[in-house]
Amino acid sequence: MTGLEVTLTKRLADFTLDVAWSAGDGVAGLFGPSGAGKTLTLQCLAGLIRPDAGRIVVGDRVFFDDALGVDLPPQQRRVGYVFQGYALFPHLTVADNVAFGLRARPRVERARRVADVVQRLGLGGLERRYPRELSGGERQRVALGRALAIEPALLLLDEPLSALDAPLRRALRDELRALLSEVGTAAVVVTHDFTEAYRLADRIVVYDGGRVVQSAPRAELLWQPASESVARIMGIPNLLHGTVIKATPDRIQLRWRGQTLEAVNSPTRSYLPPPGAPLAFFVRPEYVRLIRKDRMVADLGHHMNLMRGEVVADEDFGTTWTLRIRLDEPGPPAQGAWDLEVEVPHLVYEILEIERDRRWEFSIHRGSIHVLPS
Amino acid sequence: MSGEGLDALALSIRVAILATLINAVVGIPLAWALARRRFRGRGAVDLLVTLPLVLPPTVTGYYLIVLLGRRGWLGAPLYAATGWTVAFTWYAAVIAATLMALPLLVRTARAAIESVDRDLEKAALTLGRSEWRVALEVTLPLARNGILAGLVLAFARALGEFGATLMLAGNIPGRTQTVPLAIYTAVQTGESSEALVLVVVLTLVSCVVLLAAGRLGARAA
Repeated sequence: MTGLEVTLTKRLADFTLDVAWSAGDGVAGLFGPSGAGKTLTLQCLAGLIRPDAGRIVVGDRVFFDDALGVDLPPQQRRVGYVFQGYALFPHLTVADNVAFGLRARPRVERARRVADVVQRLGLGGLERRYPRELSGGERQRVALGRALAIEPALLLLDEPLSALDAPLRRALRDELRALLSEVGTAAVVVTHDFTEAYRLADRIVVYDGGRVVQSAPRAELLWQPASESVARIMGIPNLLHGTVIKATPDRIQLRWRGQTLEAVNSPTRSYLPPPGAPLAFFVRPEYVRLIRKDRMVADLGHHMNLMRGEVVADEDFGTTWTLRIRLDEPGPPAQGAWDLEVEVPHLVYEILEIERDRRWEFSIHRGSIHVLPS
Repeated sequence: MSGEGLDALALSIRVAILATLINAVVGIPLAWALARRRFRGRGAVDLLVTLPLVLPPTVTGYYLIVLLGRRGWLGAPLYAATGWTVAFTWYAAVIAATLMALPLLVRTARAAIESVDRDLEKAALTLGRSEWRVALEVTLPLARNGILAGLVLAFARALGEFGATLMLAGNIPGRTQTVPLAIYTAVQTGESSEALVLVVVLTLVSCVVLLAAGRLGARAA
């Protein structure tokens, strides 16, 4: 197994899928809004839908190549598909569901593999139950077990966590991550939740409207979205628009809401827009620093990108507070009623008595202002 | 009940059972194909199967005569070759009942098959099953209750068939006279007690059949 190569075109009545991406061993995440073509891609990979053109190679096996006239039927692809909603056979027990793909194997081997999968996925004791008698998490594991039992060349997971309740979802996300790296099968996970994509996948392919807008290792995507639209799909907060004052290969100076901000230009692909050009950038809420009033600093000037404003709203997210800050500047705020979202841990919120004290100075390090190429 | 009445009852049950069996063999694959396959002439097949449901039975019977009668499109060559015709035999009653019952089975079974989650079928395909095995192991077992309900309705329809049967099979006591025809004849000839017995028997059988269909339908839901 040495990676996955996917080039696909599929024209439907009201939608066209036209994508090309590749991934190494490990988990690839297809991430994007619903209706972007992620599930359609999975179905093409599994051979359930025939692309109009393209090429699908898994390791050294060609699944599909319109130029060579190759189109393996789903039965011959040995792909483990975990459907959204799991698609467990309701008329079969857990053991029969897991054994479903093993019909061609000798009875003894079949029993051994089922026992192996049941044990590995912690389904012991549930073998004779029917899917309707299982909890959501158990169903997910049976679906995964059924797919893994055939020792797939490729594992496909369509929104594997979306059928679960929120608390369970987080626990199972981490469990799934551990299991995927343990089995070591190449896998493609579809999700519309960025956190999920980031937790589960090594490489993330961002889909939008039937096209790939970015494909990158997950950390690179997190810090360097390729464009404003990718950042928007990722749901990045504090996506803002300013004007370029001056751009050099390592710094960009920009004007935003009456402030002059300094940002680091991307070290790998520096971006040199002309002065006066509009510029999109984002600031991660957890990287905005509130300046403590009880510690007198000799020179406030050593703080970068210093601003002043008022907390106009705040929301408790359990372990953190999100503060919505409006700058002391005339004119309409950048994001409706506020300019910036700032995230602080509970402890900081309490120590600084933010509930009572609403006016703050804050700064943003130039490395925490991320410029987006347009 | 008179001897003729008993004959009619025996014939009716024999015809209904045979018609239901033929319905199962023809109708279930047909329902599956209409629900799951896209093929040329699908619309025409759907229309043709459904037509007996909306046409007056005598019209369906008339078409059957045109097709199978001694001078019919198929009937004439058959008669020329063998000297035998299906018209006015009890086989004709089976054919008429089969055709009249078919839309009930096909429509019910098709709806049940269409309600089976397609992801289940796709999952079976990725797990190595041919399309044919998927139908046998996944689709049909999951549509089972709907299909059984359809068969029960088909049986009830075959048992009560009158118009098309009269056209093709006639009303020959002891040979092609089914219970509905016997009731009609009894009323026409003023044998009201014979008519009443047959009416009660047919009502009871129909009630049992409908109750069974209701239970299957409730389990399918």
